[in-house]
Amino acid sequence: MTSSALMSIGMRAMFANYASMQTTGHNIANAQTPGYSRQTVELATSGGQQTGAGFFGKGVDVVTVRRATDQFLNTQSQVASSMAAMDDARSTNLQQLETVFPPGDTGMGAAVGTFMNSFVDLANSPADSSARQVILTNAAEVADRFSTAGAQLDRLQAGVTQDLRNSVAQVNQLASQIAKLNYDIAGLRGSGQSPNDLLDQRDQMVKQLGNLVKVSTITANDGSMGVFIAGGQRLVLGAEAQQLAVTPDPANSGRSTISMSDDGVQHELSTDLLVGGTISGLMKYQNEDLVAARNQLGQMAASVAARVNQVQGHGIDLGSPPGAGDPLFAVGGPIAIPNAHNARDAAGGFASQVTLTVTDGSQLKASDYTLAADPASGGSFIVTRQSDNVKFSMAPDGSGGFQYTRQSDGAAMGGSIDGFQISFTGTPAATDTFELEPVGRAAISMVRTLDDPAGIAAASPMTAVMGVNNKGTATVGGLSVVSSTNDPTLTAAINFTDANGNYSYTLTDPLGNVTASGGGTWTPGQPISLNGLALDLNGVPGAGDTISIAKTAHPESNNGNALAMVALRDENFVGRDMQIDGSVQDGESATDAYASLLANVGVRVQSAKTASTISAATSEQADQAVANKSGVNLDEEAGRLIQFQQGYQAAAKVLQVAQAIFDTLLQMAGH
Amino acid sequence: MSVERISTAHAYDSALNNLMSRQDNLTATQEQMTSGKRVIKASDDPTAAARAERARALEDRTTASERAVNASSNAMTLTESALGDAGELMQQARELLVSAGDASYSDAERASKADALKAIRDQLLAVANRPDGQGGYIFSGQGSGGAPFVDKPGGVAFQGVGGQVNVASDEPLPLTLDGGNIWLAANTGNGVFVTKNTNSSNAWIDAGRVTAPDQLTSSTYDIQFSAGGGPTTYTVLKDGNPVSSGNAFTSGQQITVDGMSFAISGQPANGDDFQLTPSTRSLSVFDALDNAVKQLSTPDQGGPKVQQAVQDSIRNIDQCASQISSARSFAGTTLQRLDGVKGRLDATELSAQTSRSNAEDLDMVKALSSFNSQQTGYQAALQSYATIQKLSLFNYLNA
Repeated sequence: MTSSALMSIGMRAMFANYASMQTTGHNIANAQTPGYSRQTVELATSGGQQTGAGFFGKGVDVVTVRRATDQFLNTQSQVASSMAAMDDARSTNLQQLETVFPPGDTGMGAAVGTFMNSFVDLANSPADSSARQVILTNAAEVADRFSTAGAQLDRLQAGVTQDLRNSVAQVNQLASQIAKLNYDIAGLRGSGQSPNDLLDQRDQMVKQLGNLVKVSTITANDGSMGVFIAGGQRLVLGAEAQQLAVTPDPANSGRSTISMSDDGVQHELSTDLLVGGTISGLMKYQNEDLVAARNQLGQMAASVAARVNQVQGHGIDLGSPPGAGDPLFAVGGPIAIPNAHNARDAAGGFASQVTLTVTDGSQLKASDYTLAADPASGGSFIVTRQSDNVKFSMAPDGSGGFQYTRQSDGAAMGGSIDGFQISFTGTPAATDTFELEPVGRAAISMVRTLDDPAGIAAASPMTAVMGVNNKGTATVGGLSVVSSTNDPTLTAAINFTDANGNYSYTLTDPLGNVTASGGGTWTPGQPISLNGLALDLNGVPGAGDTISIAKTAHPESNNGNALAMVALRDENFVGRDMQIDGSVQDGESATDAYASLLANVGVRVQSAKTASTISAATSEQADQAVANKSGVNLDEEAGRLIQFQQGYQAAAKVLQVAQAIFDTLLQMAGH
Repeated sequence: MSVERISTAHAYDSALNNLMSRQDNLTATQEQMTSGKRVIKASDDPTAAARAERARALEDRTTASERAVNASSNAMTLTESALGDAGELMQQARELLVSAGDASYSDAERASKADALKAIRDQLLAVANRPDGQGGYIFSGQGSGGAPFVDKPGGVAFQGVGGQVNVASDEPLPLTLDGGNIWLAANTGNGVFVTKNTNSSNAWIDAGRVTAPDQLTSSTYDIQFSAGGGPTTYTVLKDGNPVSSGNAFTSGQQITVDGMSFAISGQPANGDDFQLTPSTRSLSVFDALDNAVKQLSTPDQGGPKVQQAVQDSIRNIDQCASQISSARSFAGTTLQRLDGVKGRLDATELSAQTSRSNAEDLDMVKALSSFNSQQTGYQAALQSYATIQKLSLFNYLNA
């Protein structure tokens, strides 16, 4: 029993309290540091010394500095934060997408509506050149709005690629930093103590990395953390980090995808497996939302242009001599993109290319398609519509074209599918795939191709006149050209043989020869069809009534084709559907198509915003749980500071007493 | 002992987040109130945005339809007034003809009536060719290269195409009328059959009327007279075959054949023939007047011939006038119909505007009250933040 025992107890106590105060000070200093875990000094008694009078304690030992952390809470917070980042990225970008499709007077629907309504004024005075000029101006506005929207979508795509590059650069930087930390931490393992601050830093970086792309981690025995992404691809293992890169999507060079370089070889990461983080949100936005928006816009542009051009071609313009109207709009054509891995020829180009031809613009759907060889039968192919995953079989028909059949119910689609036909140059290999975009590029290249006001075809090529001596009540309701088989030089004479609507007709050429004749029965509400025309009658024809249909003598006073253009307002020609029995089911009218497009984008934005709010709240809750476990509470630290200060003072007192005892001993011995 | 710990840094962060989100909501409400719209972008309420878009398209459409209705209304007003002018001219012509039937008139006096009739005929041609003020003509039918009625050696011809041009509306509303129908296609005769004095200079036949419609046939009838030596008799031939003969004739007495009744006056000579044929729609008002002018200008006609000429002309003028008048009433009823159409279009436009407003406009009362409550909440959050951050143990520790 010596004073040195007391002195050593005092010194130990002072050291322990000093260490606690230092740690408390460290906590207070780092109270605002993100990712910092509160540290506490772990104390233990130094054991007791056995003596005959009992075990006497030897004081206190500092065992270690422990950080308050819970691995489960950390993982939970990191996962929630990753989801929140993904939803936020998608929501922000979708809100940008929404500005491309404004509702109201500045939108595309309003422009198409104004364009069609301006034909009403032309119908009121067909020779009025100012009405024609207004139509041309409105047509230019329509083309302008579509092409601007298309260009904006392309810019958004470029923005996505740029954002992906930035995110990937950050990922790469974080990955290499984590790798370095792994090296440092593993190196310090031998000391037996855990490097708390380094561990905190590494956790914080993993969380930041998780915000960019979802990661899963495994801690190895030597303390290094392996980081894996995309369902098992290793990003960081030990002290080595792989690099990610943004590369063009092999299926469609207009889009980007993420690839990882593994020993110098780059391979693409599957998008389905990148399920969290900003990168995943951007990829989802690029592959789903941008594609859908571009296709819906293109479908509207292509069908409006096709139908307007068709009606324009059926009418007569004011040229000299008057002829069939020229097309008013031109849109971007359909494209087919070969996969980057397709077979190539000796010169490095693709061995086989695909060409698409549009046969009926009103049957185009708002979707991309994938074309691949049918493994079951050589020479046949399978076309998959990406919007709803409906598959079609494409078999050669023996004369160079193809016949299409819907696989789900065997319905025969005929020689074209959804309004377009596919043809090949070269022979595709069995593994070749192509991405077909029938409407994707339609909107951005939409232009008005007619500049001369006299080129607008306001007149019908033929006029119908009721006989002067008709006894019935029938009048001409409307005469429209329904197919290009119409020959305007043939005069038709219709004669009603009885009062039940039975009639006979003859078609006479300009020389007076009868080229065709026939008969039929007229029913109320149904038009009389002959020579590519449809004649609607109001009232009831009587026996002996005659109707004469002849070439329009004065195109400058006739407004028949202008009326046909006006009727397009009500015609549901966007997205018609071919049925099994060969009939065509109506789609939507042009303004309704735009309203649907608006609602579609709006619903996407709204649900993305909701998802973002929910996942942000979840992430906030998880963060709070972590903070409550690992965060610094200043009041608590203040209390502890006082506690350890008193302890220190008490320990100092113990030393003082020990010293006094020693002095007493010395005094005793010194005499 | 488990204590609910709160990390200081997190507490501050969380309070700040709340403040930011409250401020965000406040700003959004303010934006709604300043623009007056609840739906500014489609994502605010997608179904309402789509509804508003469709309502706006309907509004634009009714505005365009109103322009079409106005064009038709202008055209029909012009037409109705032109036909009114034509009706008055026809009335003047009739009075001239009636007065020309005065037996005491000399050739010169009748010739002056004829000149007046010629002037009326020229005015009628000008009315028929009246332009519509927009480069076209109101009676051009489905189009004419210039003025629709042209004087040709055989008479006035219609250069246009029959039928009518309609404006772009859901029901047929005309911009032009069929001039050929109105001016050149009146019924000949009395509307059912035509009486014609083939060769008599001593008697005249009136226009006739139908007494028994069910006995009418579409045959051609001849009344041939034999006179001289005894009472005058006549033979009725149907399509060249005699039906009855030896009928006694009294001047001015009604003769009835197969449901048709007519009177022949004067003293028919032997071999005088009068013919009855079914009516056709081929009477041109200009031909009728030209005929009248020619007859009245011919001198030395003799009483019966003048009577015949005047009777025939008055009959023709009446038919033409009735054709013109029925066209005028068509124009008038079309104008009435246009009023109804305008009323319906106004109602449609109002309903479209209401629908659009319901879909996207802001309920100002609701917005103001939610703005107030958001403002109060924001104030409370700010005050509580300011109060709590003053509480710290460090404030109470000395030294």
